[in-house]
Parts: sequence; C-alpha cells; structure tokens
Amino acid sequence: MAKNQHEYILPETSSTADFIASLQSIFTIREEHEAVIWRTFYDTFDWRLFNQGASLELYKDQTSPKVYWRADKDSARKIQLGLSSVPRFIDHMPRSNLRKQLEPIQKMRELLPRIKLKIKRQPIVVLNDEGRIIVRLNVDEYWFRPAKTRAAHVLGRRVSSKAVKGYQENYDQYLDFIQQLELRTAPDNMLKLALAETGHSAGDYTTKLNLLLDTDEPLIAALKEILARLSEIIHQNTPGTIRGEDTEYLHDYRVAVRKTRSVMSEIKDALPPDIVNTYGKFFSMLGKYTGPVRDIDVYLIKLDKYQKNLSKEGKKQLKAFKLHLQELRKEKQAALKETLKSSEYKQAMKSWDEYLQQPVENLDENSPQARPVSTVADKLVWELYQQTLEQGNVITPESPADDIHTLRKTCKKLRYVMEFFQSLYPARRIRELILVLKGLQDVLGDFNDYAVHIDMLKEFRKSVPEESVEKAMTAMIKELKKKQAAVRAGFAEQYAQYSSQDHIDEFREIFVDSR
Amino acid sequence: MKIIAIYNIKGGVGKTATAVNLAYLASTDGANTLLWDLDPQGATSYYYKVKPKVKGGGKKLIEGKSDIEDAVRGTDYEDLDILPADFSYRNMDLFLDQTKKPQKRLRKLLQPFEDEYDYVFLDCPPSISSASEAVFAASDVLLVPTIPTTLSLRTYKQIRKFFHENGYAEMKILPFFAMVDRRKQMHRLIVEHPPSFMPGTLRSYIPYASEVEKMGVHRAPVGVFAGRSRAAVSYRNMWEEVKEDLHLLESELE
Repeated sequence: MAKNQHEYILPETSSTADFIASLQSIFTIREEHEAVIWRTFYDTFDWRLFNQGASLELYKDQTSPKVYWRADKDSARKIQLGLSSVPRFIDHMPRSNLRKQLEPIQKMRELLPRIKLKIKRQPIVVLNDEGRIIVRLNVDEYWFRPAKTRAAHVLGRRVSSKAVKGYQENYDQYLDFIQQLELRTAPDNMLKLALAETGHSAGDYTTKLNLLLDTDEPLIAALKEILARLSEIIHQNTPGTIRGEDTEYLHDYRVAVRKTRSVMSEIKDALPPDIVNTYGKFFSMLGKYTGPVRDIDVYLIKLDKYQKNLSKEGKKQLKAFKLHLQELRKEKQAALKETLKSSEYKQAMKSWDEYLQQPVENLDENSPQARPVSTVADKLVWELYQQTLEQGNVITPESPADDIHTLRKTCKKLRYVMEFFQSLYPARRIRELILVLKGLQDVLGDFNDYAVHIDMLKEFRKSVPEESVEKAMTAMIKELKKKQAAVRAGFAEQYAQYSSQDHIDEFREIFVDSR
Repeated sequence: MKIIAIYNIKGGVGKTATAVNLAYLASTDGANTLLWDLDPQGATSYYYKVKPKVKGGGKKLIEGKSDIEDAVRGTDYEDLDILPADFSYRNMDLFLDQTKKPQKRLRKLLQPFEDEYDYVFLDCPPSISSASEAVFAASDVLLVPTIPTTLSLRTYKQIRKFFHENGYAEMKILPFFAMVDRRKQMHRLIVEHPPSFMPGTLRSYIPYASEVEKMGVHRAPVGVFAGRSRAAVSYRNMWEEVKEDLHLLESELE
C-alpha cells in the first residue's frame, strides 16, 4: 500500500451502517454515489503469473476499464498500463516494458480471466468546516461467485482510505479514530481469499502426478490411482485443446495420453484384458489424432529460429512454407476438435472414469492384480534400467542414429515408470536418480530434435525448388548436422555418469536389495 | 511519470482551460495526477478552489529550500493534486537564474514525485524566458494551443523557430487548435488544412464554447458540470489522442 493509504478489515459482526454511524459521530462526512467495481485477475491456465508473484488485473468501474500490472509481491504500487483490455497472447501485446517483463513468464500461453470479484463501493468523504474534502475513504464489500454455483457470497468488507494532500493532520485524526475501533489491517490478499473459496490454491494445476501410493497397496488399486490422475490432466486440458490456440494444452494433453498408454503397455497383466483391449485402442486413437497437430506446432515454433540466416527471398519462401503449415494445422486441428467434441469420445472418457472409480473389492489374493505395488514397481524399474544399459553400452560414435532413438524411447518408458511409482521410494534418492536420467534424456532429446529439424528443412527444400532457398537450406542443414554431431559427442559424458558403477549400485540398492 | 506542459508565448489562447481539463481527465482514468500552476495569475488554482499561495513563498520552493511535497494540495477530485501558484512566480526567471542549472531546475524539483504521479501537467505563463526554457527541458511533451488565425499561426512559427535555434529540435510538440469558431470561414479553413509548419497537429480541437467560460462560475472542469457538452467531449477526445501519442513516445524510446 502506498504512503498515506490504509486498508482495514471490517469485522463480520458490525455492519457498514454501524461503521458510518460511528464515523459520523466524530466527523462531518458526505456519502457519495455508490459504485460497482469489477476486478478480474488474469493468468495462464497453469498460473504462471501467480507462481512468479506477479498479477495482471482488469479493473472496471463507471469510467473506462483499466489494466494494472504488479511485477512481484513486494512492489508497493500497481502500474496502470495504457490498455483497456487484456490481450490473450503475448504477440497481441503492444511493444512496451510490460511486454518485456511478461514475455518470459507467459511465453506461448494464453491469458484467461481466472478470478472475478465484484465490489460494491460506498465512497465517503470527510469534510472540514469550509466544506473541503480532507479525507477520502471507501467501504468496499467484496462479492465472489465460486465456479460451480450461481450463488455469490460476501468474501469480506474493507475500509480503505487515502490522505488528501495538505491535510495530514486531519488524516492522522482519522487514523486515531480507526485505532479506537480496533480494526485489523487488511493484507492485499483478495485473490488468495477468492481462490481459497473455490477450494483450490493458485498453482494447483501441475502436470506432476504427486501421488501418495502405499507400498502394500494392491497393484490394481495403485494403477487406478495413477490412471485417474492422468485422466484428470486429460480433462483439465480438453477445452483448451479443442480451442486449439494455446499450444501448451495439447502438449500436456498428449503427454497424459501417452503416459496412460504406457501404464497399459508396461503393466499388462494387472488390468483386465477387456479393459486393455478397449481403452488401449481408444487412447491409441487419441494419440493418432493429436500427433499431427503437435508435430506441426513444434515445426512452427522452431521455424522462427531459422529466419535470421535467410536472404530476403529465403524469408519470403519460409513465410510461404509457414503459411502452408498453418493451413495444414487448421485441417488437422479441425479433425481433432471433431473427435474431442464427439459423443463417442465423451462416452468413452466417461466410462473410463467410471471404471477407474470403481472400488477395488474381492480381489483373489493370488491374482496378478493383488500383488503389492512396490514389488511390481521394483521389478519393472530395475528391468527397464537394465534394458537402457544394454542398449546404451553398445552405442559407439559410429552407431546408426536408430540405436540412439531406441535408447531414447526406452529411457522415456523408464522415466514414466519411475514417476508413476516415485512416492513409494525415499524422496531425495529417487529424485536424484530421475535427475541423472533426465540429464541423459536431454542429450538424447536434443539429438532427436536436430534429426527432426533436419528432416523438416529437407522437406522445405524439396517443397520450394528455388536456388536461394536450396542454398540457404543446405547451409542450415549442414550447420544442424554439426550441432547434432556435437550433441552426440556429449552423449558419452552423460552416459558415463548414468552407467557408472556407483549409479548402478544406487539403483540396485533401492529397487533390488530393499525387496 | 510523464510531464506534459501546456505552453504558448501568447496569452488568452486557452492554456489554463486545457491544463485544468486534461489533468482532470487523466485523474478520472485512475492515474495519479499532479497539476502545477506556474502562472502567477493563479487561475488554475482558482478553478480547483485552492488558494494560490505557496507556504514560504515561491523563491524558497524553486531554490529547493522548502519541501515541495508540503506545497501540494489535494483537490475535490480523487487522484488529482495541485501545486498551487504563488504571486511571487512573476519573478520566476530571477529565482531560476540564481540556481546552479536553471534549465534543469524544474525537472529536478519534480524528481521526488517520480514514483508517486503518473502524470504531471505544467500550466505555463505566457512568455519566453528562463522559466519557459526550464519547462521545455523538463517536459516529455509540449501541448501548444493555437487559435486558427493568421497572427496566432505566426506566433506558432516563432515558437518552432526558437526551438530549432535553441537545441529543442527533438522536442515532442503537439500543437492543437483552440477557441475554434466554426462560424468563421478562416477558422474552418485552417482547422481542416493545418499549415505545413504545424506537423503533428492533433486531430481534435477545442471549440469556442460558453461552457469553457462557465468553468469560472462552477470552479470546476467542464466534465464535472457539463459532461455531455461539445467542449467536454472535445477535451476527452484530445486526452485520448495525447495518451496515444505518449504511448508512441514510449515505444520510440525503447
């Protein structure tokens, strides 16, 4: 709160009228026209601004709408921006200081209205004998409507005040009066309060599984928990994937689908065959519909990076290629949208959720489903780790690229499985193991990315038979191949750590010896 | 903090009315606004019902010997404060010339307000002097009200010439037409076809209107007592345009 501005909480036990009456007993006041104010807080779907301590607010009263920005919690002052609405994407934001601050936080995500508060404001002015305004105050009643009900309710009432320049003494008298009423200072937490009312906290969207599995839990119960959490992520990202503009929804959606398929394929005998059969096909179908759109998204994101090395003609061609990709994306996105909006899809997801929510009962103790989850997890992780070592140990600088891709895929399976069962193991130790695996995956991923980019540029070269483009693309492909070779050289170092005796021992200790 | 000066060598061209109304509009946007009445006549202070007097006098204030923050007065409008005029401002040149860097003085005096105000409006007295040069050096934008008559255009030309010759060629100047009487053919002609030496002339102009004169009766900006009048609408349009220009200015600076 800025200098000479104060805000206090009015207790639930006293009414606004009570407060005004006690104010009137000491000061000459005038009640101004009541006003209604809307405060809408914007954030990305995954609360990127909130997590950074920033806030972006659309403020609407009887005058023109305003947009306020606060870079972090510690900023005393909100900055009013020269905007009257919040642009959804960073590209729509005029070039400004704000854009510079927002860009690294928001990235490609859209900004959505996340929390909307309605304020019924009673402005009051305190007057001196000459009829001049000497203190301004507002009694604000904050209303909030939680997402799942139509009934709004009062979140709290506050009285805020501001000194009028030249009348400091009068303001001090007012503050004395407040002190006598023993009002509590109001923290700037309306956003948090509103969030608490929704039953959530900001930052509650995460793609991390964050499960709490029990080592003795029957396998089937644990799997259902994992799959239900993945289904939750799928549902959370479905509307955004259908809208199809913010590419991150599809990304998160797709990863959750892939993980779901991975559970079904890696732990086959635990789920009933008819379930694996039916839903295996369903999720594989989703993989097929989401794949092409995501591939194009990745292409489009990468394409911009190649712009700067191109001649004017090359830039023109690249733009044309980009347009072609955008058209193609529209087509694939339309097909994806139709699938996700179909009654078949909704029905399948519904019955999938119903299956996952059925309680686990009457298990035959000897059935594969009844095995304690930790036994299965130990074995699976250990086997997959062994498999990565077998594949990794034979990779030499001369091995074909396919060998690296095979290892990349196995590492991904191992990573998923380790994350599914993470909560069964000592937190710090498994985190360390995942971190080393991630380091290796990054190298393998970079290698693969370069391969994909090279293919993409080759395709572009083929699609535009023009000499300058041919030349530019050939040069760039050469450059990328060099970089890819450098990544490959770095592989040995990462892999050495991953396959070191110490590391193997650590894996063995956690996943074999503890059995 | 953006500093906007309203200036012309000529008197009676609508400077004070512009300062009073634009500052009011800025504050209704929710922007913290300060209006500094630099004219010893104190008309701006009068319109805002504030005594045209600075405690300790203008000399001490300009010399930095009294606290400028203590001189600020609130107005009847939220988010709008005023630094009242003082009759001693008639000797402003003298005060300034006694300081070390007279040209940079005003900007320096306003420095403590950097985080407090979004806009500072300077209502300048009609003259060309050390005081006006300090205003030019302090301002981000200079608004120059001009009556669409031959004589006023000639004055505007003189101002431009002065800027070119005295190192203010880069200064952002926004001329606009004020006291426009559309019944007069010459006014109409000039407003519709501003002369080539007036680049950047604002599209909006202020009509000659009785509401502007009535400000003295109501002692309030036009928007308060005649919100729907032609004059009020004109000031609103002008403010929108100035904001747009300021925004452009910001992106140019990046």
